[in-house]
Amino acid sequence: MSTPDTTLNPASPSSDSFVAAADAFRRRITAQLSFDEDRFFLILAVFIGIFAGLAVVCFRITMEWVRLYLLGSTLNPPPLRAFLAPCLTGLLISLLIFTIFKGAAGSGLNQTKAALYIFDGYIPFRTVIGKFITASLAIGSGHSLGPEDPALQIGAGLASAVGTRLKLSRKKMRLLAPVGAAAGLAAAFNAPISAVLFVIEEVIGHWSAGILGAIVLAAVSSVVTMRLFLGAEPLFRIPSVGVIRWQELVAYAVLGILGGIASVVFSKAIGWLRPKVKETPMTLQVLYPGIAGLLIGLIAVAGFPQVMGAGYDFMDLAMHDQYTWEILGLLAGLKILATTLSFVSGTPGGMFAPTLYIGAMLGGAVGTVEHNFFPYLTGSVGTYALVGMGVLFAGFLRAPITSVFMALEVSGDYSIILPVLVANTFSYLISRRLQAAPVLEVLTRLDGLSLPAMEEKREEETLNVEDAMSPRPSIVLDGDKSPAEAWPFVSHTAEPFFLVSLPNQPPAQISFGELRHLVEADDHRPLRETQAISPVPYLHPDEDLEDALPLATRHSFIPVVNRADLSQILGVLDLGDVMEAYRKSHEEFPAPY
Amino acid sequence: MLHDWKEMNVLRRDFVVREPLLVVILVLITIVFSTLTHAYSRAYDRRRNQLGQQWFAEGNAELQKNKPAAAVDAFRTSLIYDSRNWDYRLHLAEALSQVGQTRQALNYYQSLWQLNPKNGVVNLHLAEFAVRSGQVADAERYFSGAIFGDWPNNSADHRREALFELINFYLQRGDTGQAESQLIILSANLPEDPVLHSRVADLYAHVGDYQRALDQYRRAFHLDPKYFPALFGAGEAAFHVGDYHAAETYLTRASHEDAAGPEVKNLLQITQAASALNPFERGLRESEKIQRVLRSFQIASGRLDACSSRSGGSLPSKLAPLQQRRNQWKPNANPRYLSRHPDQIDPLFVIATEIEKQSQSVCGEPAAEDSALLALANSHPLDEK
Repeated sequence: MSTPDTTLNPASPSSDSFVAAADAFRRRITAQLSFDEDRFFLILAVFIGIFAGLAVVCFRITMEWVRLYLLGSTLNPPPLRAFLAPCLTGLLISLLIFTIFKGAAGSGLNQTKAALYIFDGYIPFRTVIGKFITASLAIGSGHSLGPEDPALQIGAGLASAVGTRLKLSRKKMRLLAPVGAAAGLAAAFNAPISAVLFVIEEVIGHWSAGILGAIVLAAVSSVVTMRLFLGAEPLFRIPSVGVIRWQELVAYAVLGILGGIASVVFSKAIGWLRPKVKETPMTLQVLYPGIAGLLIGLIAVAGFPQVMGAGYDFMDLAMHDQYTWEILGLLAGLKILATTLSFVSGTPGGMFAPTLYIGAMLGGAVGTVEHNFFPYLTGSVGTYALVGMGVLFAGFLRAPITSVFMALEVSGDYSIILPVLVANTFSYLISRRLQAAPVLEVLTRLDGLSLPAMEEKREEETLNVEDAMSPRPSIVLDGDKSPAEAWPFVSHTAEPFFLVSLPNQPPAQISFGELRHLVEADDHRPLRETQAISPVPYLHPDEDLEDALPLATRHSFIPVVNRADLSQILGVLDLGDVMEAYRKSHEEFPAPY
Repeated sequence: MLHDWKEMNVLRRDFVVREPLLVVILVLITIVFSTLTHAYSRAYDRRRNQLGQQWFAEGNAELQKNKPAAAVDAFRTSLIYDSRNWDYRLHLAEALSQVGQTRQALNYYQSLWQLNPKNGVVNLHLAEFAVRSGQVADAERYFSGAIFGDWPNNSADHRREALFELINFYLQRGDTGQAESQLIILSANLPEDPVLHSRVADLYAHVGDYQRALDQYRRAFHLDPKYFPALFGAGEAAFHVGDYHAAETYLTRASHEDAAGPEVKNLLQITQAASALNPFERGLRESEKIQRVLRSFQIASGRLDACSSRSGGSLPSKLAPLQQRRNQWKPNANPRYLSRHPDQIDPLFVIATEIEKQSQSVCGEPAAEDSALLALANSHPLDEK
């Protein structure tokens, strides 16, 4: 930057050297001054987090206002309101969805994935508005749905709107949707780590260092924003976990089994009813949110208003041992029914909160039974309820990593990790055994979409070079030997190339023709000193086969060498080896569905 | 060249103007939306607080109407609007206790304890739960938390009450040693209040430490000379330590109070009888002592005869040996013999008190003089030999 001022003046007289200097400076400054989308992306992630946080604050407050106006201020709404509010609001929501906000139906999770994979991350702003209004009405009026998935879509939609306005590249637009989704979910659940993991596990489907920073920034800034307005309180008050005895792990295993079965029942109910609803005429489909509301109202009037809405207040009560195990079990069953009705009717709202609710009730029931029959085991019912939430998360949403971290993040107590792992493992395995496709995949297919199957992607067999490589070739020429000494080893073969081992260096290669030429020229120098050997790229056994594939297409073979001793040849890899390894892998591990 | 410079200016504008401008615009948008959201959330917060307080008041009203079940619903509703509110949770726990949902109440108390382990109210409630479920270690821990914990007001009074509860807990368990230790701590820090001194004295009397009980009763009626429980208690305590003159004085004073009932008069009679029969009174001449012992023997013999006639001439088997010994003693139960054999005065008195002790359970209610003899036997244990 110490260039004289004259260089910046285009009107100054030019000479050749001056022009060259000015040109060099221009190129340098051009490189520095260009609008750096990558750099700005991180700043943008923070703002998207803030916007999503603000939107979620407004969303939650609106939902609460709706509840106050429609159901009243009591914990258990009066019967008439409980009966009418979800039904009439369902009809209104249906009207809005079928006329103004056509993209607002559903939970928002699959819609966000669809936007990411099909529409380059674009979500119409009208959908965001529609989701905000209709989901607030639905959840506030008592439909058995949660605010997290809509918040996820609202966050992604806001990110999309900002990206569109800034005319970001298609590549960045695709990255922006998950950033907004994580921000929305983090603010709705007040748990940034779980939100980040969920978006990576369920929306993106793979770990990507490039986007992780932006997602974390957005999630954290959204949670901070939300807490500024709504306070730092968790959604429910978690009783202390305390000491967990080994005998209790049996009870947690039982909880995992029950949770796995409940997850399958829940998934199958949705998977069975949803296509039946979609097959009916459109005129009838308009009525479904109202009918679902009517049935939920009936459940409430029958004495179980706890199934209405997201149900966080009742999860809190379950955690504080306020119900008998019979009631808890009944509430879990009724919530499955109510959520299935609400969800398959197309009413906007998520399954995140109902999943946690069902898990909390099941967990509470198991905990209460344990207390009743084994009073010497002192585990709190709250701990069981919390573990139950993770269990359903693992079994129903099939997000095992998020389910573990969610329990840790919500409780802030690492002693819960063992029961969570035990219970979640049982739940996840049972769910996988009894229901091949996760519910989100089932819904995607029912919507006629083909989105990447996250579970499949997550569990895809990763092949390494060592899985494909052939053994060390029988002929490896010694670089210290002369061409004449090497010739007898190769003269009778038909190979076009041979590896040449070099001391303390990766191997090189020499062609049959070059070697013969050296022999004929009576060159007595060691092979390593001749110009005939050429460098060859090399691989290590632990490298991804996917990374090796481009090399294999360009070279006839690639030596595989030891990381600690590059001169040690462990094997060789060629394109045929790679293809064979992929073919075998596909035969051994077919897709689970 | 000119074109290049134009291009560079555009780029410079991108860097110098576009990025900062975008950030400024985004900041402005953030400020505008934050302000709107703030106003929206403030309105909602006000409504939440209002509803929380409304339902809390409703819960308290229901509690006053003695409808704890309705109060539970109201307090639970108030918690929707302020889930961290200490009072809401505490009142909910108390209402749950009243409804009989002890496990649910306990859960709330425990969650409150996790928030503030030094809270005296919560510790005391948890101690009461532990007492009911027989968890001694927990009860002691929570009582200790209540005694040394924080109280919203009148902390000294609350701590003292917690200590009283702990002492009662020990007494219920029959652990008089621990109870007495705590009583000594308690009595050392009592304010000048006759009621409190009298309560502590009652507890000392309960553990059998009548001397300390007497001290506390005396302090009580020094503060309020007409305080009946202290006068009566002092009379009882003095009677038990064998100071019959003092007991007579206190009981006489107590009997003049309005609150005095027949039990005061009964005890006074017994005390007067004990005073008259007491052969161990300091400064008593031997002849007088002999007279008192002979009188005691007469009373005991009368009790034995009455018992025999009540059961149709035959005594219960456990009294038969005593009757035999009484008959052996009878010829020597006179002033002349006892004056010559002063070493036989105490054994004769022992026979008298032994008859009273044994006939207590089989011969019906004792008369005042019989009770006096029993009291004398208890306060001055003697060996016949």
